[in-house]
Amino acid sequence: MERKNRWIERIAAELRRPVPVDPDAKRRLMAEVRRVHESRRTGLWGWLVRPRPVAVTPLAVLGGAVVLAAVIFGLAVRPGAGPVTPAAEGARPVQFVFVAEAASRVALVGDFNDWDKTVTPLRRRGPGDVWSVVVRLAPGPYRYAFVVDGQRWVADASAPRASSDDFGLPSSLILVEESRT
Amino acid sequence: MARSWGYPHVGESDGALARRAAAGDIAAFEALVDRHYPGCLRYALRMLGERADAEEVVQETFVRAYRALPRYQERDRFTGWLYRILTNRCRSRGARAQRRLRRLIDYRAGLDDPVERPRTPRPDLSNRVTRALLRLPADQREAFLLKYVEELSYDEMADITGAGVSALKMRVKRARDRLQELLKDLHGEEESLD
Repeated sequence: MERKNRWIERIAAELRRPVPVDPDAKRRLMAEVRRVHESRRTGLWGWLVRPRPVAVTPLAVLGGAVVLAAVIFGLAVRPGAGPVTPAAEGARPVQFVFVAEAASRVALVGDFNDWDKTVTPLRRRGPGDVWSVVVRLAPGPYRYAFVVDGQRWVADASAPRASSDDFGLPSSLILVEESRT
Repeated sequence: MARSWGYPHVGESDGALARRAAAGDIAAFEALVDRHYPGCLRYALRMLGERADAEEVVQETFVRAYRALPRYQERDRFTGWLYRILTNRCRSRGARAQRRLRRLIDYRAGLDDPVERPRTPRPDLSNRVTRALLRLPADQREAFLLKYVEELSYDEMADITGAGVSALKMRVKRARDRLQELLKDLHGEEESLD
């Protein structure tokens, strides 16, 4: 056992050796990050978040608050489409539905959210086992799966199974078509 | 551990830097890149076997991480959060790496001709280990690297990969067994690394 451990440690030590870093590669990376940073700062989002003075009457503020409350109430009681995640350009709403018996939480993971189970939770529709969420996706193919209670990965039984998964995790395929309207 | 490259954020935690970067401090994000780029590049290179692919994957990883910073929560370990993105990027490149591996295997098969063998220089240990690693199935290679090179716990690996702890332990075991077998075969002799 000790000889085997020394063998593994020797292999690991070789693999842990630092690899040379190309300064140009790092510069290209930061140039791309700065480009994203600038586009956020100067694009639509930057315009929306930049503070500017606005003159409104108290009656307009009250009216706006009433309208906002009505919209929020209306969305809350609408039968469970679930939360909508932020849109990509040209994106279409796609509803994902999952039936999970005795689950306390269900998340959607896929190519569109870096398979991050913290990003896109599903919402339970009513008292039963049906969960759903609406995600805005640009046209194209996507692989996805559901994660039940943070641990169990499950493919979508109603969708085609993705092939060639080298990591033994079930996933499904969806093709979002372009809008014809 | 990466060099600091002289930036003023040397003493700050990853979480603090991520918070500042999410608020628009690009220098804070660059400090995170300085810390984690070498480790990410090493991992990507070991997984994919090709430097150009590895550099592209690492660039994609950090750009995606920058875009996703508003979703990063400080209770998550930053390295684990970053490596979740990195492992997914490497998986997406996996098919290309497999095609390259088939070319490598074909090349090795050519070298097995006994007439050529005396002219073939013995690869050093680093090359032998790298080639053997690339012959592992992708899931075993990933598990081995996360366990023995990145030195993560099985719980951390499970969080990054989405696989269960039992499955990860089995992949690591199979990777160890296969590497031992491959490193014996490369030179057709009893392998003793003592």
